[in-house]
Parts: sequence; structure tokens; C-alpha cells
Amino acid sequence: MLIVENLHASVDGTDILKGLSLTVNPGEVHAIMGPNGSGKSTLGHVLAGRPGYTVTAGSATFLGQNLLDLETEERARLGLFLAFQYPVEIPGVSNMEFLKAAVDAQREQRGEKPIDAVTFMKNARENCKAVDLDPAFLKRGVNEGFSGGEKKRNELLQMLLLQPRLGILDETDSGLDIDALQVVARGVNSMRSADRAFVMVTHYQRLLDFIEPDFVHVLAGGRIVRSGDKSLALELEARGYAWLEDEVA
Amino acid sequence: MTDFMRLPLDSAAAGAPLWLQDYLREARSRWEGSTLPTRKTEEWKYTGLQALRVSYAAASEGVVGLAEAGVELPHFGGYRLVFINGRYCAEHSDGNLPEGVSLVRFADAGPAQAAAIRDHLGAAVGREEGLFTALNDASLEDGVFVEIEARVRVEQPLHVVWISGNQEQAFSINQRLLVLCRQDSTASVIEQFSGARSEQQSFTNGVTELLLEDGATLNHYRIHLEEAAAAHIGRQHARLETGATLNSFHLALGSVLKRIDVVVDHCGQRAHSELNGLYLPRGDEHVDYHTCIEHRVPNCTSTETFRGIIGDEATAVFNGRIHIHRDAQKTNAQLSNRNLLTSTRAEVNTKPELEIYADDVQCSHGATVAQLDEMSLHYLRSRGVSRAQAQTMLSFGFVNEVVDTVRCEPLRDYLRGILTRRFARDPAITGSMV
Amino acid sequence: MSQENIDHAISREYSAGFVSNIESDTLPPGLDEDVIRFISTQKKEPEWLLEWRLEAYRGWQNMAEPGWAHVHYPPIDLNGVSFYSSPKSMKDGPKSLDEVDPDLLAMYEKLGIPLHEQEMLAGVAVDAVFDSVSVATTFRGKLADAGVIFCPISEAVHSHPELVRKYLGTVVPRKDNYYAALNSAVFSDGSFVYIPKGVRCPMELSTYFRINEAKTGQFERTLIIADEGSHVSYLEGCTAPMRDDNQLHAAVVELVALDGAQIKYSTVQNWYPGDAKGRGGIYNFVTKRGVAHRDSKISWTQVETGSAVTWKYPSCILRGDNSVGEFYSVALTNNFQQADTGTKMIHLGKNTRSTIISKGISAGQSSNAYRGLVRMSPKATGARNYTQCDSLLIGDRCAAHTFPYIESRNPSAVVEHEATTSKVSDDQLYLCQQRGLNAEKAVSMIVNGFCKEVFKELPMEFAVEAGKLLEVSLEGSVG
Repeated sequence: MLIVENLHASVDGTDILKGLSLTVNPGEVHAIMGPNGSGKSTLGHVLAGRPGYTVTAGSATFLGQNLLDLETEERARLGLFLAFQYPVEIPGVSNMEFLKAAVDAQREQRGEKPIDAVTFMKNARENCKAVDLDPAFLKRGVNEGFSGGEKKRNELLQMLLLQPRLGILDETDSGLDIDALQVVARGVNSMRSADRAFVMVTHYQRLLDFIEPDFVHVLAGGRIVRSGDKSLALELEARGYAWLEDEVA
Repeated sequence: MTDFMRLPLDSAAAGAPLWLQDYLREARSRWEGSTLPTRKTEEWKYTGLQALRVSYAAASEGVVGLAEAGVELPHFGGYRLVFINGRYCAEHSDGNLPEGVSLVRFADAGPAQAAAIRDHLGAAVGREEGLFTALNDASLEDGVFVEIEARVRVEQPLHVVWISGNQEQAFSINQRLLVLCRQDSTASVIEQFSGARSEQQSFTNGVTELLLEDGATLNHYRIHLEEAAAAHIGRQHARLETGATLNSFHLALGSVLKRIDVVVDHCGQRAHSELNGLYLPRGDEHVDYHTCIEHRVPNCTSTETFRGIIGDEATAVFNGRIHIHRDAQKTNAQLSNRNLLTSTRAEVNTKPELEIYADDVQCSHGATVAQLDEMSLHYLRSRGVSRAQAQTMLSFGFVNEVVDTVRCEPLRDYLRGILTRRFARDPAITGSMV
Repeated sequence: MSQENIDHAISREYSAGFVSNIESDTLPPGLDEDVIRFISTQKKEPEWLLEWRLEAYRGWQNMAEPGWAHVHYPPIDLNGVSFYSSPKSMKDGPKSLDEVDPDLLAMYEKLGIPLHEQEMLAGVAVDAVFDSVSVATTFRGKLADAGVIFCPISEAVHSHPELVRKYLGTVVPRKDNYYAALNSAVFSDGSFVYIPKGVRCPMELSTYFRINEAKTGQFERTLIIADEGSHVSYLEGCTAPMRDDNQLHAAVVELVALDGAQIKYSTVQNWYPGDAKGRGGIYNFVTKRGVAHRDSKISWTQVETGSAVTWKYPSCILRGDNSVGEFYSVALTNNFQQADTGTKMIHLGKNTRSTIISKGISAGQSSNAYRGLVRMSPKATGARNYTQCDSLLIGDRCAAHTFPYIESRNPSAVVEHEATTSKVSDDQLYLCQQRGLNAEKAVSMIVNGFCKEVFKELPMEFAVEAGKLLEVSLEGSVG
């Protein structure tokens, strides 16, 4: 589904990713862990096509297409979804208008007509319930004045509505209390299926107690330095990252 | 003063009621004694008057067939009063006047009403307020006087529509609205300015006075929908007595020349005003808003938000002044002006001004000129929304925040409709051309 | 705090306000072409410069005094102003410091500006301008070793005519405005600086201006040229004696930053501000402007505490791509002082950037206005400006104004302007007093904090001086 090979990327002239390779197959859940500054978040942004993130070498294909040739919105329409670590506030644009525009863009891609407003509202309300978000939030500006937890749940709501093929969760667990964490986990687990995959970027092992990964990778110095199953996450929890960084060095 | 307004002024003098004649004469001598400002006049630094014609005819009876002339007459659920070319149009006026509201045209005023009008006319717009006010004063053939009785609460809006029609020659219209809100009354007034499609220029000079007695609340909306050759130089003054509240909203689509001066005068303590506005010129249009918030007494608050999107070769001017007089302590006054330029040939000139003569006050202003936020665009696109649509959504959101302040729901929906159509139709305004 | 206390407190003394008893040759008051010829002859100027002056004078005669600033003062009678004054003992010009009149040296000592090189603050070269002429320039030898030219402009006309002729009036044209035209016609002296390509000036350069003679105007002219890739930091200070009548100071400063050069220009302006009743003081009508070429940077920092009326807008024309302009200002007015000051940032090149930080402090019955222009021209693609204007009011009889003009004609340019106003709050004072500080010390601390962003831009030696100056200027503005 996603094949990343020897990816090099820089931000503002600073090299962040230095030869990262990763293969994700349908149905798999990958966790990417690593110390601060290792390039975890950069990977998500590069795959999503954030302006200012420059790929200097390597390749990334998604569902057989060269991801790096595509515009941000084309990647999204193919089914790549990035749950932002810091979702953007957009005052004046209502959450509902935003969600409907996004859903319609997917439908258009599939050659379908825009969803009718009634059906959309019904879906949106149901999914609000699933992520424990008051439907009143649909009428507010996108993320405007939302708390940290509400923003994360709004990201999850978008993922539920858009039903992507690949969900990349960029530190979605950071700043969440245990209840909110369980809401996120429930949402992701409900979406797990044989033709959908997830990449979870996280700093802590805690999230993995709720969403069980198939693979755990450790990112350090812009490359994946160790891969394993979920026991690797437990080892990291116990020993920290320093020993790995030493090994790499 | 050159006599380019001689014909309309003569016509007004002939048509005005007898009890206004001396008012007109005095104003006409003020007008004739003044000269047209140039770019060297600070108040007109960014707005030239070269679009004005060398002479104007008096406005004649208006157009018929408003729909063909591109004029919409929406209903906002209350009383509607329509003027075409400054003349009352019974055909399109309808609805029932609510209890506790009296409304009279200057031309129809009986002796008692005439006296009330004379008592209050010019109470907010001083005679020193420049030559176009003198021109308006000198042309008071007709006008509207609205009085909300004390303690009356009017739920439905009063909707006054001013339409400039079309004529063979360039012509001028002067319009006047005087609203008197008695003690502790509450009301909403919508002023809509529309122009018929016309080859010839119309020049409208609309002056509005809003007088809010102690504890009165007024929601006032001044909606300029004139486009193309419909020029407008207008003025709106509000005078707020103790504990009065004014919610004032402005919208201007562009035209060849549009200059609106808005003054809110806090004269009684604990008065509060909220002033919001939008301007959306495109093509080679020009819109100029000059606002002035006067704080004369202590303990008043004011907030002001104006936003503009300027496309094509259009020009926008915003001058927002906050003036805190000596001893107006404990004033809280805020102003924000934000602009989006969406074309390499568009231009904006903004000047937020503070003039402060009291120390225990909280005043701030901010102004920005920028493009749409790149990160917001990216966020929308990362959800599959195209760049063009994302730009439209963000530009719409930029103005929508201000439309949200409109308290009258039917009007708010109407304005959203106008803006949605405009944004959908016109890629230039959303910046998708950049 | 009570009005009584405030009044009691507004009684500052101007420490630089003594008059030096120095004999001088002063031209009778009045201005005509003969006066200009006289000045030019005194300075043995070449013919082209006399013509240049006369042309400015003729233009000036058709110009009107600007009336747009937010300041009020009676009309200035230029026929009562002497346009040239020179200490007698300077007639033939000192060859070295040893030849400088000891009374003059003593006066500068009194001002805290030692002209004896051995007593100098390490690393600061000083040019001292007394009334109309430059009296001493220190450290010239050391600067010459680096190829830096630092001398009176009257001398540069003779020693480096090609540079003066090439750049004089290119930044501030002769007929730019009323006061600039007047200055161009009658300028007496001032400093000239040239930093050669790639040279980092080895020390701070500094000029001290002093008006001593009564009824004289001072019209100095400064020209600084930083050649490609060079760096220079320059500081000017100003003082004048206490006199009952107003005196005119109309200076012009031109900065040229060629490709990749950096000029930092700092001013501590402490002209006599007039007495507590508003009598006397300097009219400070100054035109300062710099042109920034590609990749260059011009930074203006000013601390304005003096003068009865200040009219001053140090500006940057950001002509070259990627050039940077900065304006950091503290303007303090007390008693009846009036200031209308700010900057213009004219963005012409691509990716040009400017920052404006203005701190206005009004006390007594003074009036303090920020006036600024940020212009994004159609070609200024990617340009950015950030402006922050804060006003602090001390007492309820003063005034603070903000007049920012923003003109944008490029959709990719970003302009952000913010302004706030505040007072020294009773709570702040109470806290400080409860901790044992007296009100004056407390206010001075709060004001210093308010100005910190600007002070940190000053060269180290002068940041301390500026803080002290502020303290003196504020003396007694609160009780």
C-alpha cells in the first residue's frame, strides 16, 4: 500500500529525514516511535505534502502511484489521511461546511454526486457521538476555540467521515487524558479492516496499550534504526531511547 | 464651488416643504462657499473625486421594472419603505408599521411632526461636517423621520430601501434618514442602497442620523449594493446618550466611487457601540470607509471590526479613528482592520488612528494586509479539498466572521446568499487567480 | 496618585543646560543668497557646492512649512535666526586636539563627552559639532588604518570631493521638504563617514552636537556611505543650553548602504526641552533617511527625550532585494513637549523586510504622536512588515496618538500593525511601593521595562546612558 524507500527530506534547509524506508501493507498497524527531533512528525507531513517540506532524495509510492508527484489534495483523495498533531483553527469556516466539502471531494473523485445535506448531517451527528464530541461543534468555526482534546477528537471525526485507506496519526495521543485516549483508540479500532492500514506516530508506549500494533519502528537521526513487534515498544518504555541512539552512533 | 450641482439644488429648493426652506438656503450658502477637496486634503488623500461629473441633472421619477434593472427587493419580515431616486414609491412599500413606531416622510409631515424633525435634524451630523453634508442639507426635498417611542421594543426590522434608478443623463440624489430612539426603546433599522443598471452615472449622497436616548438600543444595518456607475458619498452619525447601545453593520460592494463616513459619538456614560463592516471592491472599483469613534465621557466601550477583500484593479481605503477626549476615563476601545489583496493590481490603504487624551483607558488597534493563511489552505487540502475551493472557503470564512455579527436572521441569510453567489461566480475575489 | 503630587514632581532639571562662555563669530540674523555665499566662502567651498546650495535655497523659497504634523508652535521667524556661528578660536581650524580651545574642551568634559583620546570610552571615536562647526574628531589615525573616513563634512568636501559629490542629496533630495531644503541651502557642518568595501568599522563612531550660541539655528548634515559588505555602527548625541526663546535645529542625515552593507544608526536626542511652563527649547525638525541596496540592512534606533517640538521620521528606502529596515524608537515627552515622530518603510525590492517598534511615553501636559508609513510597492513580492506601537500615559493631562499609514499594492506582501496604550497602573505602583521603592523609582523601573525592546538595540555603552536619561527626564512626573 505504502512503500517509502530511502527518503531524504529537509525543512528550511535542514536535513531531517536521512534515508528512511518503510513498507505498509493493507490491514497492518505500524507504530513509529522515537525521541524528540528524530523526524517522526516530518514523515507524516512529507507524505501529506505540507508546503516547505522538501524531498531531496528517495521515493514514496501509495497504492501504486508516485505520492511525491501529487498535490496535497490528490493524495487525500487517494485515501491518505493525516491526523494533525496541531490541527489548524479556521475561524469563519464552519466545521460542517468544511467536513462536507471534504466528503464531497472524495465522492467527486469516485465520480459520485455531492452527498445530500440531510444524509450528511445524520452521518456527522452519529460520528460525533462515536468520538464523544458535542454536535454543537459542527456549527462552530473549524477547531476555533476547541480545547486540545476537542481538536484531536475533531481529527478523528474527520477520519471516520472520510474513511481513508491509510490513516497517519501524528502524536494524536499527546496531551490526551485516559478517557480521551480510549475514545481515540475505540475510533481507530472500529476502522481497522483488511484493506485499511494505520501508521501511528507516538512518543509514548501508552497508546499501544489500546491500539495494538503489528509492527513497531524506532526512528532516530532521520532513519528507522530498529523494527520489531510490540515487545520493542515495551523495551523502549523500560530502557528509554538513549541506548538505541548510542548503538546508532 | 463650481455649480455642477446647480440643477439638482434648484430642483430640491423648488420641491422642499416650506418649513425646510430656510434650512436649505443656509446649507446652500455653505455648499457654495466651499471647494472640492483634493488629494492634498488629508481626509481625501486616497480618494480622488475625478469620477464626479462636470454637471448633474436632478433625478426624475424612477425606473419601473426593478427586476429587469437588477434591483432585488428582499423581505426581512417587517415594514418596508421604498424610495426610488429619492421619491417615495408606494407600489413597493408594504408591511404594517409596528405599534409604538411613527414614521413620516419630510414631505408629508404635519406641523407637529415638522417641528419634531426640525428639533432633531442635524443633532448628530454637525454643520461643520464637510461639504457633502452641506450638499445633503441643501437638497432636503424629502427624507424619512422614524421615531421609536420610549420603552417600546420592536422585534421586526424597519427596512428602508433607497434605489438610484437610471436616466438619460448623469443625475444626483440626496437621501436623508433621521432615527430617534426614545428612552429604553429597542429597534432594528435596515438601510439598503441599490442601484439600477445604468449607462449613466448616478451620484447618491445619503446621510443618516441615529439618535439614541438614555438606555435605547438600536441595531442598524447599512447595506450598499450599488455597483458599476452608481457613485455614493454618504455619511452616518450616531449619538449615544447614557447607557445606550448601538450595533452598527456596514457592507459595501464596490462601484466607481464609494465613500462612507461613519461617526459614533459616545455622549453619555456607559454607552456601548459595536461597529462592523465589510468591503469587497473588484474590477476598477473604489471603496473608502472613514470611521470615527468619539469617546467624550467616561465608562464607555466600543469595538470595531472591518474587513475587506480587494480584487482585480480595485482600491480600498480604510481610515479608522478612535478619539478619546480628555476626562473620558475608563474607556475601552478596540479596532481591527484586516485586508486580503487578491490581485497584483489591487491596492489597499489603511490607517487605524488613535488620538488619546486620557490615561486610564484601554485602547488598541490592529491592521493587517495579507494573503490567505498558507497553513489553513494546507489543512483544507489535506482533507481532499481543491486549492481553488479551499481559497473560496477561506475567503468566505474571512468575511463570514463579520456577517455572523448581524443579529437580524433574515438579513444575515440574505447577505450570506449574496456573498456566496459572489464568491462562487468570481474567482478574482477569492484569490484563486493568484 | 494625586494631581498635586504629579505637579510637584514635574520639576526636572536639565543637566546639560549651562551656557559656555566662549567667544564666537556669529552671522547677523536673516537669510538671503548673500548669507549662503558667506557660509560657502567661510568654508572655502568649491563652486559646485555653492551652486548646489543656491539651487536648494531657490526651491525652498517656493515651499511652505509642513502643517500636517500633530504639533503646534508659533510661526518661526527665520529673520530672527542666525544661520552661522563659529567659536572665534576655531577660525583657522585646530590641527590637533592640543590646539582646541581649552574652554571648549572643558565644556565637553562637563557634558561627559571627553575629547581627549586617552580618556575615551574604549572603542568609540567622537566628532564634536559645536554650533555650526566641527571642533574635534578623535581616533582618526586608528580609523584611517582601517581605511575608514570619519571627518567633518566640510573637510570631506575638500579631501574626498568625489564621494561627497556622488552621494550628497541622493537620499534626501535638496527639495525633499521645507526643512531639508533649508538645510541644503545653509548647512554648516556635520559628519562624513565612508566605510570601504568589506570593512567592519573597528569602533563605534559617534558625533556630539551642541548648540551654544543664542538665537542661532543649527543645520548640520551627516552623510554615511557603507560600501559593499561593510559594517558600521554610529551614534549621535545632542544637547543645548537652557534659553527662554526657541531655537531651530534642522538637520539632514543621509545613509547609503550598498550591497550587503549594514548601518546601525543610534540617536540619543537630549536637546533642551524648554522649562516646566513650556518656555524655550529646541525645535527639532529633522530629515533622516537611508537607502538600502541588495542584501543590506539599515537599523535606526532613537531615544528622544529632548526638544520642545520634535518632527522626525528616520526612514528606509528598501530598494534592493532582500534588504532589511529597522526602526526602534523611544520617545518621551514631559511638561509641554510635543513630539511627532515615526518612520517610513518604503518596500521596493523583493523579499524586503522591515520591523518597527515604537514606544511613546507621555507625561505632564505633553503630546506624543507616532506617525509612520509602510508602503508595499507592486514589485515588493514577498515583502514583510511588522509594526508595534505602544503608548504609555503618565497623568491625565497628556496625550498619545498613533497615525500609521499602510499602503499595499502587492498581494504577496504581508503587513501587520498593532498598537496599544496603557498607563502606569496604580496596582503596579502599589506593588513596587509595598516592596519599598519610592514612586519615582517605581515609575522609572516600569518605564525602563516598557522600553526594554528598544534599549537592547542600543550599543552597550549607551543603553545605560539612555536608561539614566529617561529617569532624569521623568523626574517627578509622578508622586
